[in-house]
Amino acid sequence: MLKVKQNLQSPFIPHWAIIRSITNLSEDNTLFELQIEDGDFSECKPGQFVQLWLPGVGESPISVCSAKVGETIELCIRRVGRVTNALFLLNEGERVGLRGPFGTGFPLEKYKGKNLCLIAGGLGIAPIRSLLQHVLLNREDYGKLILIYGLRHSAQLLFRHELKHVLRRRDIEVFISAEEIRGPDLPPMSMQLGRVTDMLSLAPVDESYEIAICGPPVMYKYVVQGLKAKGVKENSIWLSLERHMKCGMGKCGHCFVGGRFTCMQGPVFNLTELRFLPEAIECEGTESC
Amino acid sequence: MQHYYSFEKSSIGRFFDLINKIGRVWAPVRVSEASFSFKPVSNHEQVAFEALRTILPPKKLFFSPEETLFRFDENSIHEVSPPSEREVLFGVHPCDLAGLNVMDTIYSAHPQDSHYMKRRSKTLIIGLSCLPDKYCFCESMGTDTPKKGYDLFLTDIGSHYFVQAQTPEGLELIDSCRELFSPADEDQRNRFKQFWIYRSQCFTNKFESDNVPAIVDMEWDNKLWDELGQRCLSCGNCTPVCPTCYCFDIVDISSLDGKSGERKREWDSCQIVSFAKVAGDFNFRPGPVDRLKFWYRHKLHGFDDPYGFPTCVGCGRCTVSCPSGIDDIVGVVLQLQGKRMKEQGAEATKGDSSSC
Repeated sequence: MLKVKQNLQSPFIPHWAIIRSITNLSEDNTLFELQIEDGDFSECKPGQFVQLWLPGVGESPISVCSAKVGETIELCIRRVGRVTNALFLLNEGERVGLRGPFGTGFPLEKYKGKNLCLIAGGLGIAPIRSLLQHVLLNREDYGKLILIYGLRHSAQLLFRHELKHVLRRRDIEVFISAEEIRGPDLPPMSMQLGRVTDMLSLAPVDESYEIAICGPPVMYKYVVQGLKAKGVKENSIWLSLERHMKCGMGKCGHCFVGGRFTCMQGPVFNLTELRFLPEAIECEGTESC
Repeated sequence: MQHYYSFEKSSIGRFFDLINKIGRVWAPVRVSEASFSFKPVSNHEQVAFEALRTILPPKKLFFSPEETLFRFDENSIHEVSPPSEREVLFGVHPCDLAGLNVMDTIYSAHPQDSHYMKRRSKTLIIGLSCLPDKYCFCESMGTDTPKKGYDLFLTDIGSHYFVQAQTPEGLELIDSCRELFSPADEDQRNRFKQFWIYRSQCFTNKFESDNVPAIVDMEWDNKLWDELGQRCLSCGNCTPVCPTCYCFDIVDISSLDGKSGERKREWDSCQIVSFAKVAGDFNFRPGPVDRLKFWYRHKLHGFDDPYGFPTCVGCGRCTVSCPSGIDDIVGVVLQLQGKRMKEQGAEATKGDSSSC
């Protein structure tokens, strides 16, 4: 008979958290600050994710959005699915559930002492923000720093006020672009017209840089091509993959990529590793990337 | 080292009396002219000893098709634990034992799945030998002999059942009724050896298994997947019947007033269109071709990490239950190996196993 550990706890039980503040960032994106009532989330690292549970609705995997998680955790959430639509109906003071953190996160130790280029597309800024915060908090541990942030529409810019502060710093180069500058209002801040890849060609990225990328799946192929054209080595490129993580524990199968559980061995993967995983990103295994 | 005993087949009634004392006994029961199912039984007369493959594999006892993980109300969460009474699972063939071993590997990996583990750890498993039909190909998958995961394994050696006891719990059962069991004598040991040699010669549905995982990996872009995918109905039949399909979905069932409810998990299938869909409706496996070859890769190559082994156990359930006839794993492997043209069809190499 199979032996089982004494007092084996169910890993499916969420911890409670209270919505402390709700900050609208753009039309469909909101920053939720959650006060953790029970459970310890202080081990959260940039690039990891938590499962946000709305009783009676379901769970949704959400990237950790701030470098430091203590009594509170920040989650930047787009209203796009069943759970997030229900979340946007809640008010401050209401209760949600949290499980996690899950996944590996960005390789902070490997990045140490290196030049760093962070590339975000759209909502990909959420995990990149936690990494950026971490690097800025420990600025002396890292070399040159570049942030590239691409949007489809200028109105989708997130973390405008924070980015204005970042733009004033001399120890980071920031490139922000939108494919479409939408009126009638002026863009929320100065940005260029173009794609992420256009910003990449402008940025002084070279083979000395370590790269962190998070964005929509379609972006990866072109960003990787652009990075390679600049001489960046494959093993310096780290990508955060989006999949539908449901259990977070390498069991339910929804987040399989090739042969890996995104929720356990990812969501951040090195490009050299992804090339061995069929269906990971569009350019996998092809000479074009 | 295992312990070897035997008992007369005519005493099977007493054997069932014995295991019925442990707890509820599940065994294969005939549910229609041609189908069997693991169901609770109270005596040996209800058991279909001739059953080769049940509709669903025995994973259903440990990984329930639908189970409540916890209940909740406005203020609290109450974990729901599986029942703790001991049970006995009788009549598990080698392929299904191998399937349970795969499930054990997945669900005992950190963090352990408490629901699966609790159900699994309270169940005594008694295996039973079988002879293959034209759909069985466990020999090709290397799962044709019972290796682990059972407490007792019974081999039909004619007048007697030859009993292998692999665990203290299995031995305890034998010790509890020594008048029923006698240590296996030399003649019985010889008949046991002959049975397994004979059985290995009975397989007609087979392929050379050398390096199949590498071949399946290499043939990821083979046109065969397109041909099979175009015939796939995405019905998902192949996954519940598979002893090693362990994927699940987790859903909330809310009360009408929305103030309480339960969180359940249900079997899910990678063949269903929504399986790899993320919020915003982007689908990482939008077509049947994507989904079918993903399933085949899991079965014949396995996931590289953390487990790294093929998960097909050669039970033939998918082949039997696929309405499109595309889950002929042996036929697919032969084609990927370049040994058979597709025009020859799946049935071409399936001989009649009546001689066995």
